[in-house]
Amino acid sequence: MTAEPKVLRKDQLEVSLHNEKKLIKEGTIKDDNPLDLSEPFRELCNACRKGDLKVCQEKITEGVNINARDPYDYTPLILASLCGHYEVVQLLLESGALCERDTFQGERCLYNALNDRIRNLLLEYDYSKSTDPLQPLAAHITSLLTRETPRTSDIVVTAADESLHLHKFILAARSPYFHSKLEPAPETSTWRLPNTTPPEAFGTAIKYLYFGEAPRDLRSGPGTGFTESEVFAGIDKIAKHLEINTLVDSILDSGDRRLARQRRTMEVAKGRDQLEQWFQANVLKHKVTVETSKADEVKWDRDNAIFADVLLQADELPEDVEAEQADGTDSGTLDGRVPMSTLFPCHRAMLLRSEFFQTMFASPFREAHMKDHLNVINLDCSPDVLEIVLTFLYTERADFPLDVAVDVLFASDMLFIEKLKTKAAIVISTLGSGNMSQAEAARTRGTKEEDDLDIYAIIRAAWLTRVQRLEEFAARYLAYRLEAHIDSPEFAELIQESASRIQSRQETDSIELLDDIRFYLGERFRLRFDDAGIEEMMEDATQPAAGVEANGDVEKVTEGVETMQLSTESSLPVQAASKGAEQAVIRTLDGEIVVDEFDQDALNYQILMDKLDRILENLNLDA
Amino acid sequence: MALRARQKIRAPRRGLTVTKTDDFETNWKDLSSSLKKIHTKDASNLSFEQLYRNSYNIVLMMRGEELYEQITLLEREWLEEEVQKRVTAAISPSLLLATHVDVQDQANERREAGERFLAVLKEAWEDHQLCMGMITDVLMYMDRVMSTDHRKPSIYVVVMALFRDHVLRSPIRPDTQTTVYDVLESTVLFMIQLERSGHIIDRALIRHCIYMLEGLYETITEEESSKLYLTVFEPAFLEASRKFYQAEGRRLLETGDAATFCKSATERLSEETERCIDTLSSLTEAKIKDVLDNELIKNNIAEVVKLEGTGARNMLDNDRIDNLRSVYVLSARVDSKKTPLTTAVQRRIVEMGKEINASAIAAAAPSSAGKKPEAGEKKPSEKEKPVNQQTVAAIKWVDDILGLKQKFDNIWQNAFHGDQVMQSAITSSFSEFINLSQGAADSRSSEYLSLFFDENLKKGIKGKTDSEVDTLLDNGITLLRYIKDKDMFEAYYKKHLSRRLLMKRSVSMDAERQMISKMKMEVGNQFTQRLEAMFKDMTISEDLTSSYKEHVRQSSDPDQKRVELDINVLTSTMWPMEIMSNVRSEDVQLSCIFPKEIESVKQSFEQFYLGKHNGRKLSWQASMGTADIRATFQRSNGKTQRHELNVSTYAMIILLLFNDIPAGESLTYTEIQAQTRIPDHDLIRNLQSLAVAPKTRVLKKDPMSKDVKPTDKFFFNHDFQSPFMKVRIGVVSGSANKVENQDQRKETEKKMSEERGASIEAAIVRIMKQRKTLIHSQLMNEVLTQLSARFVPDVNMIKKRIESLIDREYLERVEEDPPTYGYVA
Repeated sequence: MTAEPKVLRKDQLEVSLHNEKKLIKEGTIKDDNPLDLSEPFRELCNACRKGDLKVCQEKITEGVNINARDPYDYTPLILASLCGHYEVVQLLLESGALCERDTFQGERCLYNALNDRIRNLLLEYDYSKSTDPLQPLAAHITSLLTRETPRTSDIVVTAADESLHLHKFILAARSPYFHSKLEPAPETSTWRLPNTTPPEAFGTAIKYLYFGEAPRDLRSGPGTGFTESEVFAGIDKIAKHLEINTLVDSILDSGDRRLARQRRTMEVAKGRDQLEQWFQANVLKHKVTVETSKADEVKWDRDNAIFADVLLQADELPEDVEAEQADGTDSGTLDGRVPMSTLFPCHRAMLLRSEFFQTMFASPFREAHMKDHLNVINLDCSPDVLEIVLTFLYTERADFPLDVAVDVLFASDMLFIEKLKTKAAIVISTLGSGNMSQAEAARTRGTKEEDDLDIYAIIRAAWLTRVQRLEEFAARYLAYRLEAHIDSPEFAELIQESASRIQSRQETDSIELLDDIRFYLGERFRLRFDDAGIEEMMEDATQPAAGVEANGDVEKVTEGVETMQLSTESSLPVQAASKGAEQAVIRTLDGEIVVDEFDQDALNYQILMDKLDRILENLNLDA
Repeated sequence: MALRARQKIRAPRRGLTVTKTDDFETNWKDLSSSLKKIHTKDASNLSFEQLYRNSYNIVLMMRGEELYEQITLLEREWLEEEVQKRVTAAISPSLLLATHVDVQDQANERREAGERFLAVLKEAWEDHQLCMGMITDVLMYMDRVMSTDHRKPSIYVVVMALFRDHVLRSPIRPDTQTTVYDVLESTVLFMIQLERSGHIIDRALIRHCIYMLEGLYETITEEESSKLYLTVFEPAFLEASRKFYQAEGRRLLETGDAATFCKSATERLSEETERCIDTLSSLTEAKIKDVLDNELIKNNIAEVVKLEGTGARNMLDNDRIDNLRSVYVLSARVDSKKTPLTTAVQRRIVEMGKEINASAIAAAAPSSAGKKPEAGEKKPSEKEKPVNQQTVAAIKWVDDILGLKQKFDNIWQNAFHGDQVMQSAITSSFSEFINLSQGAADSRSSEYLSLFFDENLKKGIKGKTDSEVDTLLDNGITLLRYIKDKDMFEAYYKKHLSRRLLMKRSVSMDAERQMISKMKMEVGNQFTQRLEAMFKDMTISEDLTSSYKEHVRQSSDPDQKRVELDINVLTSTMWPMEIMSNVRSEDVQLSCIFPKEIESVKQSFEQFYLGKHNGRKLSWQASMGTADIRATFQRSNGKTQRHELNVSTYAMIILLLFNDIPAGESLTYTEIQAQTRIPDHDLIRNLQSLAVAPKTRVLKKDPMSKDVKPTDKFFFNHDFQSPFMKVRIGVVSGSANKVENQDQRKETEKKMSEERGASIEAAIVRIMKQRKTLIHSQLMNEVLTQLSARFVPDVNMIKKRIESLIDREYLERVEEDPPTYGYVA
């Protein structure tokens, strides 16, 4: 963000707002931000005010419209940026919240942003990423029309003298006509449409079925042999024939940009729903569970009713079956249960969205050979994870609970599905933050809270799958709960591991994890110091020797702030926190008595920093 | 509770704990055996998923680096043990011979061996690529981790580098320095050598080997510039080509035929282009062309152009457009100025121009020697016969030059692609020889050109369409462009024009005006000012004549037998006065005595004119006028024959004398002279045309001879016979259409230099008035540029003029070093 972005003047904005309202009233365009008075939306708004990541994520997963507005015309995005919750703003934007320049609501977000960091984030999204979240799926399916290798098409559809290589499952999912024709005869490999169809109309219809954008203008007139009205009539006819009734509307709408965009969003969403419906009704319905040893004997004919051309196998693992057996990592099969596997009939055309499958099907290895019976490909993940992966590939949906998130993370990493990986990371870093927001967690100085995720496993997973976001999340998580972890041997081990990662990289001499933790620790305590507006206090505090004296100096100054804080916050966490802090003081410093909570924070910070240093010493590391 | 909560997020299922170290071994064992199968092309049953999983597991164990090393090792062993041996085995001894093999058998043998070797190498490379593609696919996960976490190059890059080091750069035998690559290079170069000498080789095979060199890099970062092809092969190829084309250039020169040289050079160029596309790499195209340009063309083109008998000169002479084009194309490749070619063309143009000049002079010579004075006198009115050989020569000269120009325009258009440089070279050469002749005493291009126009405007354009006339005039104008001393041309043109106007010899006034406007466009307004003024005078005179006639009709008795008068009043400064009067040496000559009828008309007109325009002076130019008279011839048989005679004014005066004497009486030359006071020169010529010219003998002369002597007697010839009612009797002096003789030219030049002196002085004063002070050299420059549109002033003349201006106190010397002048206001 180097150049200062151009901002519309207020009167210009009001004009555009007025025009927009008029159009909405007339019904020409849809309101981007409809009024929503429902309870879930109210909860979402509250979460955005408070910066409660977890609730936000939950509400978004529930399907609350994140672009709606409340009775005061606030959208969740405006609230989050106004209240300065960077992570929430990021989550909302990633989930498709609109912040479009030159719209009233979009400009409000920008004006209201609490700080430049959030403002820049908003601008960045507006310029590069505020596209339809379904666009990648649509683009992939459209690309199937032209993709040469590996060959995935299984039907040739001909109209007049133009032939296209298409995919039965897409045709069946998108067109009721093809659905009814192909289902009884899955072995069909060619199809003829009436010869009178103009090629342009045929092409347009097929492209539409493949999620393509409606053409701006139809190719007609001299040279094509058809007049515009003929082509149009042809489209109308073929649309009726294939029972895709919205095609004509979308071509009619393609003139106006905004209208076309809204129409397209709707169309893609509808197409996704059709595909999802079909996926549920066919792929998932036809999954079979067999004993692992017999999985290879499953024979699916190439001409199956759901047009699958490959079988994916996922083995159930002992620990999945025996969820209650906590430490059963190596002896799961001892109790005599037969290991089971699930087979999913799939379409390679969709699997190609993963680089893993793309490489596999393009290689000369066994999986790429076409045989009479479908190849069975074993995948190294559990059936439910595979189902999530497949759902994502077919429908772009990635809603899964926290408890499989790490598995999804690993699977998507293995299969090179970046978006799903990001999604898994988001799920972990939002839902995993516990029952309270980060801000609240910050105030729970040292409470031994319920720890519902294995942060050490997460951080290792983050390292293995190279997800920066997750590393940061874990560091932050640890920093905000450092009192609970700092003395455990596991923590020391983790630091050691982080250090060894760095050694092999030979890049810097610092330990990344430790740096991150220090950074977030600073953030955690700085919250208070910053409120008081005394920067130098922080600088002093980072130097262990000077820290304590400095505390005394600022005491008086900060008292006013102190009372303000106390009055605004609910008293419960504060009390709990102070209790924890006192314990820490008593454990570490000899007879030092803290006067108030502020002092206590400073001391705590000191103590924690010292402890980190000590760990380093013990581990013989330089940092 | 804590337990359940922990269960909510599980640790990933495997690979995280470092306990399964032995798994590395099992995974690696599986993997390595499969990789070997890939090498032996036994891969169709291998499962991608299985191999991927093996490598994935290893990487998750954090042992990706180990895997990476192992793979590298495995590949190296494979390349060293298998591939390298296979390749070196295919090298037969004949490939190791020196590059140049003369004996045909040996060449054939070597070529076959070479093809075998290349085929094996190509296969090894393609296998390697294929296998490595598969292996890289399988190791996809490792690659990504290694490149992001450890900044290592992709495994594919590494194994490609292995191929470079352990196959290409391995010695072919342990005891030698020669590597496989060396053999490859020499073999490919040998093949190319074969192809250059006309053999057919397996291009596709070589192309594949070049692909290999293009696919391999010197460095692990694989910059475009570090391709082996560019670092090693291309320099060798270019060096070999350089040598080849040096020799080729010498060989072609020895054959001594320029056309052949150009043809082969052009062929070589396209051959090399084709080679770059089909056999080598298009990257080399520009470079090999450089080699060709430098070695084959640049070094030889000058000699080729100069080649005796076949070079540029020969091509120009024989209009070998195609050959010239190839010479031009080749020259243009190496030199934007195309120096050798332009020099040759220029030299040839000047030579041919000089020939034209010389032939014009030669054609004119005999006539000027003896025939000239009589020629005009004898047959003044016979236009179909050459009036004057010099005139014809002049016109021929112009035609020849136009022909030459046409020829070179054609060559320029078709062979030189309308090239700018060539155009200016051609133009400057034309101007050079045209003006070259100008400087020499014998030449007269300005005059010739003006004559050309004169001739055409008088008769040439009769019966021609407008567009033809237009082209004709345009051609003339083109030549005018080349002439440097335009003032000279102007002088001649004016002279010729005035005759055409006064004697009404112009075929078409439209054409005249067109001509003027063309000149105006070409040379500028100033140049044509006076010419236009001449036209203006003519029109004013027409009006004047008619208004005078009106005046006479009103003022005097209509029945009086008056002589009708057509008058042309000419502004003396605009018209070339020297042709109108023979006022050459005797400035104060008495005007001739007009007969009384004429005298009265003259006085009446003078009265009329001076009454209209006060303060003007009319001087009558009898020598320029003509008269229509009706003559009655009393035949001896009593019949009377009337003829209308069109004669010059002088002739009219002479004839009228015979009215006053009784029939049969005679007048001597002296008597006539005394009674008319016609200048000797004109009188002789008029008498000659009246009494000597065979068809117009209105007078009889005694004794009958060509020359007119003061004692000769003249009688009115009543037996004058003519088939026509109207008879036109020309005068020798009327033949304007003639090249000047030496005296006349001297005269013209004298006038010219006077006029130039005035122009120079005017220019100097103009400049100095503006600049006030100026250094001598700058003043010179300015004067030269100002005047260059009209003529090229002589430097000495400018100096003289400056001196003269200083003397007359227009200028003063301000400083001596550098010499500077100041303007005296």
